[in-house]
Amino acid sequence: MLKLDWGLRALAGAGLLLWGSLAAGGAAAQDAEAVLKARCAECHERLPDGGLNRITNMRKTPEGWHMTIVRMDIMHGVKTSPEEQRALVKFLADRQGLAPEETASYRYILERTPNIVEDIPADGDVGTLCARCHSFARIALQRREANEWLKLAHFHLGQWPTAEYQAMSRDRRWWEIVSTETPKQLGQMFPLKTKAWGDWLKQPKAPLDGTWRVAGHRPGVGSYGGTMVVKKTGQDTYAVSYDLMTADGKPLKGAGESIVYTGYEWRGTAKLGNEEVSEVFAVSKDGKSMRGRWFLDVSEIGGTMTAVRDGSTAVLGMSRPYVKAGETARVTVWGAGLGPSIDLGRGVTAQVVAKGADHVVVDVKAAPDAAPGLRDVTSGQAKGKGIFAVYRSVDTVRVEPAFAIARVGGNGGKTPKIPAQFEAVGYINGPDGKPGTDDDVRIGPMPASWSFDNNGEVAQQMEDAKFAGAMEANGLFMPAGAGPNPQRAYGTNNVGDLLIKAAVKDGGATVEGEGRLIVTVQRWNDPPIR
Amino acid sequence: MKRSIIGLMAATLAVAGATSADAKDYILTGTKGNKLFLVDPGARKVERVYDVPGSGGIVQTVPSPDGKIAYLMTNQWGGVVGLDLESGKPVFSTDFSTSRQVRTKSVLSMDISPDGKELFVHQTSVKLGLGEYEVLPTQIAVYDTASGMDAKPVRTFPAPRRVNMLAMSKDGQTLYAMSWDFYMIDPKTGKIKGEHKIQGWDRANASPPDILDFWPLFEQTNVFSTPYFYARTDKDPMADPEAFKTGILTLDLKTGEYVMDDFENTSAIIFSSVVSPNRKEAFGVYTQLSKIDLEKDELVKRIELPHTYYAVNISSDGKEVYVGGTMCDIGVHSAETLDRLATIELPGCYDMGAGGLRMIQR
Repeated sequence: MLKLDWGLRALAGAGLLLWGSLAAGGAAAQDAEAVLKARCAECHERLPDGGLNRITNMRKTPEGWHMTIVRMDIMHGVKTSPEEQRALVKFLADRQGLAPEETASYRYILERTPNIVEDIPADGDVGTLCARCHSFARIALQRREANEWLKLAHFHLGQWPTAEYQAMSRDRRWWEIVSTETPKQLGQMFPLKTKAWGDWLKQPKAPLDGTWRVAGHRPGVGSYGGTMVVKKTGQDTYAVSYDLMTADGKPLKGAGESIVYTGYEWRGTAKLGNEEVSEVFAVSKDGKSMRGRWFLDVSEIGGTMTAVRDGSTAVLGMSRPYVKAGETARVTVWGAGLGPSIDLGRGVTAQVVAKGADHVVVDVKAAPDAAPGLRDVTSGQAKGKGIFAVYRSVDTVRVEPAFAIARVGGNGGKTPKIPAQFEAVGYINGPDGKPGTDDDVRIGPMPASWSFDNNGEVAQQMEDAKFAGAMEANGLFMPAGAGPNPQRAYGTNNVGDLLIKAAVKDGGATVEGEGRLIVTVQRWNDPPIR
Repeated sequence: MKRSIIGLMAATLAVAGATSADAKDYILTGTKGNKLFLVDPGARKVERVYDVPGSGGIVQTVPSPDGKIAYLMTNQWGGVVGLDLESGKPVFSTDFSTSRQVRTKSVLSMDISPDGKELFVHQTSVKLGLGEYEVLPTQIAVYDTASGMDAKPVRTFPAPRRVNMLAMSKDGQTLYAMSWDFYMIDPKTGKIKGEHKIQGWDRANASPPDILDFWPLFEQTNVFSTPYFYARTDKDPMADPEAFKTGILTLDLKTGEYVMDDFENTSAIIFSSVVSPNRKEAFGVYTQLSKIDLEKDELVKRIELPHTYYAVNISSDGKEVYVGGTMCDIGVHSAETLDRLATIELPGCYDMGAGGLRMIQR
C-alpha cells in the first residue's frame, strides 16, 4: 500500500513523493549500491577509502536521507523511482543513521508533534543562526564533522543568496560567522563519529514479530488500547494487525505494514478504523517496547502510542485517568500481563466488570475522603506509576497546548487547512496550595465547552475572531479558508490572534482555562523534518 | 533638522533642469509574468505594456537618465534586459553567470551612471562543484550599456557582502552601496573611499538600526531615502512606547549630505520611502501611507491603505504620491491631504510583487 499524500509534495512543488511509500516494503542492499554507483557517484566522487564524497561523511535519520534524495531531484534533476528511493533510504539509514540515544531528545520533530516549544542550548548562537528558520531538532538530527558542516553552510548561501539578508542575519556578519565559527561548534555538538553510534552498530537487533499490547491517547478523541500483532514479511519489514478498543468501549480494528530503519526506527502506514495513518515509532534498545506517534495526512491530528511485548507486565493506559472523590466511574485499564484485579490505592475500590487479554474493565469508586493526588495502578505484577488521579475539586484548568498555531488553507488552493487540537486539562493545586506552580497535579483531559475571542486590541480592531475560523465541540479549531478576504480590513487573509477558552464543569462549579492560538498563513514547504 | 538648505536649492535646480517643458511623468513598474507597464499617472491610465524576455518576473527596474531605456533585472535575479521604451525591443542583455561552473545572482542591487553609459550591479556568486558548492566573495560588475546583447562586464571589483541597494552620486564620482553601513565606492577602481555609518552608528542607548529596503525611489529628487528602525536599550520594551523608534535615513546624491533622524515611536511598519521635490517631506508606505515632516522630524499624517503596498513614488511637481508594488493596482494620492485620488488597475492583474515603481519623464 502506498500513501501518496504528505511530506515532500510541497517541497517538490509537483507531486514528487511520498514519504508514506518508504513504509512499503524493503529493497535489497545491492539495489541501493547499484543506484549509488550509477546515479550518485556521477557527481559524488569516489574517495580513497571507497566512500562517496559528501554522502559517506554524514549520518541522518530516515527522513533526513529521504529529504536529501528528494532535494537531489528538485535541485539537480537526479531522478529515482520510489523503489530506488526506498532502497537508498534503507541502505543509508541502516549504515549511517543515528543511535537511539542520539534521537531521543528530538523525536517530536520526526513524530510531527504539533506546537512544541523547543529547548535550544544556550551555548553558542546555533539557535539564532540555524533555528530561526529550521527546528533545532533538524540540525540536532544530523551528524557531520566540522568541515562537512562547513560545506552545508556553503550550500545554504549558494542556494539561497537571500539568506544573509534576512532578519537575524542582516544584523551581523552572518556569512563570516557561519563559515567559520558555526561549523566548528556544530562539529563539536553533533560529530560524525560517536561512541553511541559505534555501540549501536555492533548491538544485535531483536526481530519485532509477535504480539504487542498497546495503549495511547488521541487528543480531542480520547484514549485507546488493545493488541497489535506483528508478522515478519521480509528483511526489517512487517505486516501489522490492530485489535483495539476506544475509551468508550468501541472496537477499533486496523491493518498496515511497516519497515524498520537503523534497527529501531519503525515507519508504518496503516488503516485504523476508516482512517489512513502514518506511524513513527522508536523501538527501545532492548527491543521490548515501542513508543511514538501516529497521525493523519494533516499530521496535527493523531495520537501517541506505547507498546510492550505480550509476556511482559505493564499497565499502559486507561480510558479515563481520574475519578472525583465520592464519585464512581467505569474505567478500562489497558496493559500486558494484567492480573485478575485492579488496585488504585487506599480509599478507591475497583470492581471488575470484564477482563480480556489486554484489558480489565472496572467500576471505580472513590470514597469521599480518598486522598487527592496521583496513584499507581497495579494489576497482578503489572504496574503503571502515577497514571491515575483522585481529586476533590478541579482547582485549575489549563488549555493544552497553551500556545498553538493553526494555518488557513483550502479555498481552492493546494495547501490544506491546518487545525489546532486543544485539550482542557484539569489540575489540582500541589502541596503549596497555589495554582500554576510546578507541584500542581495533572488530573487529565476533561470534557469542556469551548469558545474563543480576540486576543488583544489589534485582534479586536481586525475582528480576528469573526474571520479566523471555528471551534468544534472537541476542542479542534478549524481555521478559515486561505486567500485575501475582501470583507476584511486591507483585504487581508483570515489570520488571527485568538484567546482560546475552555470551561469545565466540576459539580456545581465551572472552572475556566485559557490558551492562545495564532492562525497564520500556509506553510508552503512542509518537508518531513520541519 | 540638519538637512542643509544649500542641498535643497541645488537639487531643486537639478530637477528643474532635467525636465523639458513639455515632458511629463510616467511610472514604470515591472511585474511577475515579465510584463513591464508604462503608466501615465496624469491620465490615470496604463499607456503601454511591454513583454520582457526572460522568466521569474521583473524584480528591479532602473531607467536610463534620459528615460528612454529601462534596465530590468529578471531571469530569477540572474540577469538584466535593457528595453527600448519606444521600440519595445531589447537593446541590452546580460547573464550575470559567466560560466557553467559559477552561478551569479544579484539581490536586487543595481544603478546606472548619470551619463547612462555604465550599469553597476552588485553580485553574489557560488562555484558549483561536483559534490559541493563554494560561496565566492561578492563583487560589483560594471557593464557598458552600449555592449548590446550578451554583454559582459567591462570591469569587476570586490564589494562588501549583503548590499541591498546601489545609488550613484549625481556627479558620477561615488557609487553608494548600502549594506551594514553605507559604503562610498570609487566607480572606476572599486576602492572604498569612505562610509556612512548605519549599524555601526554610535548612538547611546540604541541598538543598531535595522533596514530592509530594496526600492530605489530617488530619481525625482536625487535624495536617497529609507526607513530605519531600532530599539532603545534603556527602555522597557514591554511597557515603554519610547522603546522602539522609527526614522528616515536620507542621502543627498548631489551634495553627499547624510542624515538619520527619528520621527516617531515605532507605530507602523514602513517598507520604503520617497522624498518630496520640496525636500521638506517624505512619504513612507506599507499598509499605511505616512507623510513625514523632515524639518520637524515628525509624522504629519497617516492613512490606512486598501491593502499593503511596497513602494511609493512622487510626481515631479510633488503634488501626487503613487503607491504600488504587491498586487496589481497603483494608488494615486494627494501629497497634501493623502486622500486617494484614483486607482490605476494593471490590465491582466499582473502582480508587481517587489518590483517597485520608477518615474521617468518623456
